Amino acid sequence: MTQGTPRARWLVWLCAGPGLLFLGALFVGPLLWSLASSLGLDHGLAGFTLEYYAQIFTRPALRRGLVASIYYGVVPVCVTLVLAIGLALLLRQHFRGRAWFNGLYKLPMAVPGIIAALLVLTLAERGGFLDRLVAPFGLSLPHLVRDPWGVGVILASVWKQLPFMTLVITGAFAAIPQEVSSAARTLGANRWRTLLWIELPMALPGISAAVLLSFIGTMGSFAIPDLLGPPSPRPLAVHMFSEFGSGHLPLVYAIGMLLSVFSVAVLLAYYALSQRAARLLGGGTEGSSHG
Amino acid sequence: MAEDRLLASPPPRRRFCPEDRIWVSVGLFASLALTLGLPLVLVMLWSVAERWAAPNLLPQSYTSATWLAVLQDEGVLGAALTSTLIAVLVTACTAVLAWPTAWAMAKFPLRHKRAIEIFVLAPVIVPGIVVAVGVGQVFLLMGIAYTVPGVVLVQMVGTLPLMIRLLVASFETLPDELIHAARSLGASPLRALWHVALPLCVPGLLAGCLLSFVGSFEEFDKTFLVGAPVVQTLPVMLYHYLDPYSLQFPLAAVVALILLLPVLLVFVLSGRIMRDDLMAAGMGKV
Repeated sequence: MTQGTPRARWLVWLCAGPGLLFLGALFVGPLLWSLASSLGLDHGLAGFTLEYYAQIFTRPALRRGLVASIYYGVVPVCVTLVLAIGLALLLRQHFRGRAWFNGLYKLPMAVPGIIAALLVLTLAERGGFLDRLVAPFGLSLPHLVRDPWGVGVILASVWKQLPFMTLVITGAFAAIPQEVSSAARTLGANRWRTLLWIELPMALPGISAAVLLSFIGTMGSFAIPDLLGPPSPRPLAVHMFSEFGSGHLPLVYAIGMLLSVFSVAVLLAYYALSQRAARLLGGGTEGSSHG
Repeated sequence: MAEDRLLASPPPRRRFCPEDRIWVSVGLFASLALTLGLPLVLVMLWSVAERWAAPNLLPQSYTSATWLAVLQDEGVLGAALTSTLIAVLVTACTAVLAWPTAWAMAKFPLRHKRAIEIFVLAPVIVPGIVVAVGVGQVFLLMGIAYTVPGVVLVQMVGTLPLMIRLLVASFETLPDELIHAARSLGASPLRALWHVALPLCVPGLLAGCLLSFVGSFEEFDKTFLVGAPVVQTLPVMLYHYLDPYSLQFPLAAVVALILLLPVLLVFVLSGRIMRDDLMAAGMGKV
């Protein structure tokens, strides 16, 4: 291509421009507007206040909401991570019907969160299928939906995230050059040592990326905790909806900004990690260096 | 792996023993059936159940009345039409905007490329609801809140970054040499674009469109905030049926299946034409 000439430069911006402008107008713009209103700046500089941010930390319902948001972010991701690493390791091996399994296990990625909630409701609600299944044995399941520990929310989130996490981790394992693990095996490390000390650390950047993205995804999700979670405490995303409905906009924006700060921190951490990954694997495979 | 098995003949290595892998696959498929198959079957049963009271594991009697009622209900049909219309519009607009941007990001030496990549990733990372409350307020001022165009625009904030990322990942693997060859063999830039570059883009673009369609068809958070209650899409409708105070399992099951059918169809299609790494990129990775 004609690189670097002035003509090429305006051509590039002509190509890239509309898409980036759209995101600027409908993503950055509203976000800045939210920031301004959450600080009380929408009526001029005189209105500046941190009151709405203070409310998040002082109003008991919102403070518990913050804790709930972090809880619903962290716990499902931890559960998913363990399952996903196991699944990724199994998927590296050959077994009968691997191609079929490979196609089928990704289905939950396409299933919307609301349907995931419906599936958990049919299975795990009191009087649901599982409850009826164990009833003849004189057992009864504990509350799994709208329970204080949010088990239903965790189930649905794990169900929905597992394929994505497995996909990313499988990719991270596949990007490790075969020679590295072979060398470790040749030098006398057994399979578990190789996994623990060579393969997992090398896959760590990819795994962390998956963890961070999933964490943000569940933390900001609304439908699943709203339908399956206990009435109290409700995570911040659910509070945002109800406060939006009752017109407390500055508070809604303040909560939104707090969630965004989490997200931006995650984004930066992610890029730092992916650059480390590129350095780590830079000499190895070309494809992975895009990070 | 096949050669490994041939080489490792005398000492029986458990790892390649055939029974082992049978157990692995039995275990994996059993858990798949339990976590994926069972709930789906239950939802299907609910959609045709007439009476299904507590101790029974299977419905006591079946009926097609729920399906018939839903299919004759203008609300559900209208929601299905609205969902489809919005998804088509979102996909078309997203493709038109994303294509040149992705081509520029993948094929031209951009200054500040890293910054642009982060900029494009940001809407994927910031929770949809945060985007929606900001956009919703701006749309209210502009007078396009609670309208189909408003919903299309707000959904595009979610689909555009994913489409751009997927297309960049796909375009980066296209060989530049083909275009250079066409040019050096005398094709004009337009001819090279039309006969070489565009056809090469088709698989990536198709994959992006499928994912974008699904993403829009099942989008809930942003649609709910910007569009409901005026713009009723299928997910919004399903959300109302799942309300804990007026939970109606058969109705919810039917709407869920109507919502799920095209989504799964598209997903199976896209799985056939899409590589795993592209799919991961489309879902937010890379």
